[in-house]
Amino acid sequence: MWDYLVDRRGLIAFQAFQHVSLVVQCVLLATVIAIGLAVLAYRSAKVTGLANGVSAVGLTIPSFALLGILLAPFGFGITPAVIAVTFYATLPILRNAVVGLAGVDRSLVESARGIGMSRLATLRRVELPLAWPVILAGIRVSTQMVMGIAAIAAYVLGPGLGSFIFSGLSRLGGANALNATLVGTIAIVLLALVLDLVLVLVGRLTTSRGIRV
Amino acid sequence: MTASAPPGAQAYPETEVDDADAQVQAPARGDSATSRGAWRGLLVQPVLVLLGVLAFVVWRATAGLSDTESRQLGWDALSRSIVDHLWLTLVAAVIVLLIGIPLGVLLTRGPFRRATPFVLGVANTGQAAPAIGLFVLLATWLGFGFRSAVVALVLYTVLPVLRNTMVGLQGVDARLVEAGRGMGMSGFAVLMRVELPLAVPVILAGVRTALVLLVGTATLATFISGGGLGQLIVTGINLSLDSLLFSGAVLVALLALAIDWLGRVVEHVARPKGL
Amino acid sequence: MSDTIAASTGDTTQPPAGNERRISGVSIRLEGVTKRYSGQGKPAVDAVDLDIPAGQMVMFVGPSGCGKTTLLKMLNRLVEPTSGKIFLGDEDVTGQDPDQLRRRIGYVIQAGGLFPHMTVATNIGLVPGMLKWDKQRISDRVDELLELVGLDPEVYRDRYPRELSGGQQQRVGVARALAADPPVLLMDEPFGAVDPITRQRLQDELIRIQEELGKTIVFVTHDFDEAVKLGDRIVVFDVGARVVQYDTPEAILADPAEEYVADFVGAGATLKQLTLTRVSDVELIHPQVTRAGADAAEVVRQATAAGEKYVVVTDRRGRPISWPSVAELSRVATVPDTVDEKLPVVGLRSTLNDALDTMLAASQGGVVVTGRGGVAGVMVVETVMAAIQRTREEVQG
Repeated sequence: MWDYLVDRRGLIAFQAFQHVSLVVQCVLLATVIAIGLAVLAYRSAKVTGLANGVSAVGLTIPSFALLGILLAPFGFGITPAVIAVTFYATLPILRNAVVGLAGVDRSLVESARGIGMSRLATLRRVELPLAWPVILAGIRVSTQMVMGIAAIAAYVLGPGLGSFIFSGLSRLGGANALNATLVGTIAIVLLALVLDLVLVLVGRLTTSRGIRV
Repeated sequence: MTASAPPGAQAYPETEVDDADAQVQAPARGDSATSRGAWRGLLVQPVLVLLGVLAFVVWRATAGLSDTESRQLGWDALSRSIVDHLWLTLVAAVIVLLIGIPLGVLLTRGPFRRATPFVLGVANTGQAAPAIGLFVLLATWLGFGFRSAVVALVLYTVLPVLRNTMVGLQGVDARLVEAGRGMGMSGFAVLMRVELPLAVPVILAGVRTALVLLVGTATLATFISGGGLGQLIVTGINLSLDSLLFSGAVLVALLALAIDWLGRVVEHVARPKGL
Repeated sequence: MSDTIAASTGDTTQPPAGNERRISGVSIRLEGVTKRYSGQGKPAVDAVDLDIPAGQMVMFVGPSGCGKTTLLKMLNRLVEPTSGKIFLGDEDVTGQDPDQLRRRIGYVIQAGGLFPHMTVATNIGLVPGMLKWDKQRISDRVDELLELVGLDPEVYRDRYPRELSGGQQQRVGVARALAADPPVLLMDEPFGAVDPITRQRLQDELIRIQEELGKTIVFVTHDFDEAVKLGDRIVVFDVGARVVQYDTPEAILADPAEEYVADFVGAGATLKQLTLTRVSDVELIHPQVTRAGADAAEVVRQATAAGEKYVVVTDRRGRPISWPSVAELSRVATVPDTVDEKLPVVGLRSTLNDALDTMLAASQGGVVVTGRGGVAGVMVVETVMAAIQRTREEVQG
């Protein structure tokens, strides 16, 4: 095992970087999309219900199935991987963003309007900062979830640590098959932990001290 | 890992339970209007699923298929794949419930209570483990086949049930437990008549999450010869047969949606009255 | 307290003298009861000796963290004493099976502690169920108890707790504690979570129920006024559940044992004497009383003959439901059975302060007073003011 690690440290590091880079970029993109959609949705109870419904139903679709469906139009490569990972990352953030924004005390919004803040300023200076901890919780959930989904994306030749698992699978019984699978699996769990810690730290730094728990 | 409805689905129940310990007691959630809304919401999903099934059947009956395709997509082969898939899900689900709920109860009792945060932490981390890795590791240990697939599925999906059982029980207002003990109910009676009934909504949410997760993750069983609808997808990818790939993917998605709906209906019906 | 009652007997509306009261409770005796938590230097409860006579309502007061609640919970062994003995009657219960013991001790906590997933009837029937009563007996008992706490069984039996107001939940909580007719009732700040007016009504009800049943009640509160109003005796605790003073409310108010008690009682101690003056201590007006459904013209005729401007209407059980004017009644054929939810009502054992609060809350110049046999009379604001004035002069003079 140790030899395996030493031998392939370059490849492992490269794939780990690819994996994290795919996840981080997709989650960033998903955050932007989700907050945008939430801002459009949260004022109307109907649209909010719709957003929550889409989010719940979307999450039931198996990722392997979605990757399969995306293969048909886009073929093998990075495109279906990015679309699938971003799709799944968006859903929890969207739900939390809607809940978070809707949960902001109406009287605070009114007082912000009352002191002459514009709609946009109210959103930017009052509502989003107050909803931020909830949104961030959604981002953490998304990140954990798509770390695993990204592993399956390797099957459609997306980048990342999933390739170790699949190469272990294809050479099962052969030399290093177990090593490859273990490296892929454990590295994903560890990186997920690290990302989660980073997000906790981001939370500490970006949450107003007044509402920090 | 497949379709993680779970971490998402739980993110909310959990925080709700955590930061409002009076929640369980707090009245006036969901009046008749919202419950009507809930029923309407419950109607959309099966309609979607039925439409999907209908579309698939129409397409299957009209599409011009090659020999290989029709062999895999013949009604016999297709129904066997579906039954295999459901059987895999069902066996794993039963085991998950038999392990997850009692273990969750046990871990919130007496001396084990100290371990609760630790177990919840591990359960949360476990969510990030890639399911496909788990399948391959078990195959190297137990060999290819149904058994490994079930064990991998159980390991992967027991966490949400365990976790929600614990969170649900923890969320029960401690004063109600004390009121029960104070009127002379035994610890077991309080568990059965007060704690579990009040934790039912959270536990059932965990069970539904696990079921949906199972249906999705069972697709990966095909990689270790566990059978199921994943086979269609993999064959489709390997032979570049979009029709197979598409059929497998759509059927799994429809199945997951259907199971999710069933779970929601059960949750709605089993939710204790008065909450 | 019983002295007060005895002294003021003579008026026909008075409840019977204390020594005639039915007593169904048993005495409680604590000997050297101690609770020590591991890792804490001082015991939470330090060797408490206490005698609680049968049929009395004893109030535990003291600052938070003084151990009064811990002491209460040791009575039903929700907290196991580290050492010491507890007797119910002559029976040492320290070694008994706690679950069996608790079924003989009613327990009421804040907001009733009702199980939200069970109906009112199920909640109340839990202990009788555990005691293996048969279904019919439990169902009869539930109705009887709901009547006792002033809730109509027809309406409330099948409701869920969240469909009740806070005060109603609390009433059901009391009914549940009384279900198996336990000799002892433990109440842990039961009225802490309701609004002042509701609290006062609940207090009045508790006094009424206690007069009917004569349980031994131990009642924890941090509200000294509540202790003065409800208690036959008050125990003032300091840290470690040290008993600083154990006496009647009058004695504690008149002569605080230590500086500490005086501080706790508060600066207005002498004025608190006012809260000791009960409605039963003043002269009541006896109004025209009629049942709902009576012939309105006849009622109006009688009232006019007696020179009354208002008539108190009661339901078939004699409970007041509304207080219309003669002019209003002369416009209808029969006396209506509409229930005036805002009708100001106090009990005979309510304090004058309560009566005044109730009138103010209902924006009425008077209040209907209920006794054991139904309406005992009415009281108007002038009576209250005069009585308060008189008491104040007595206290100051």
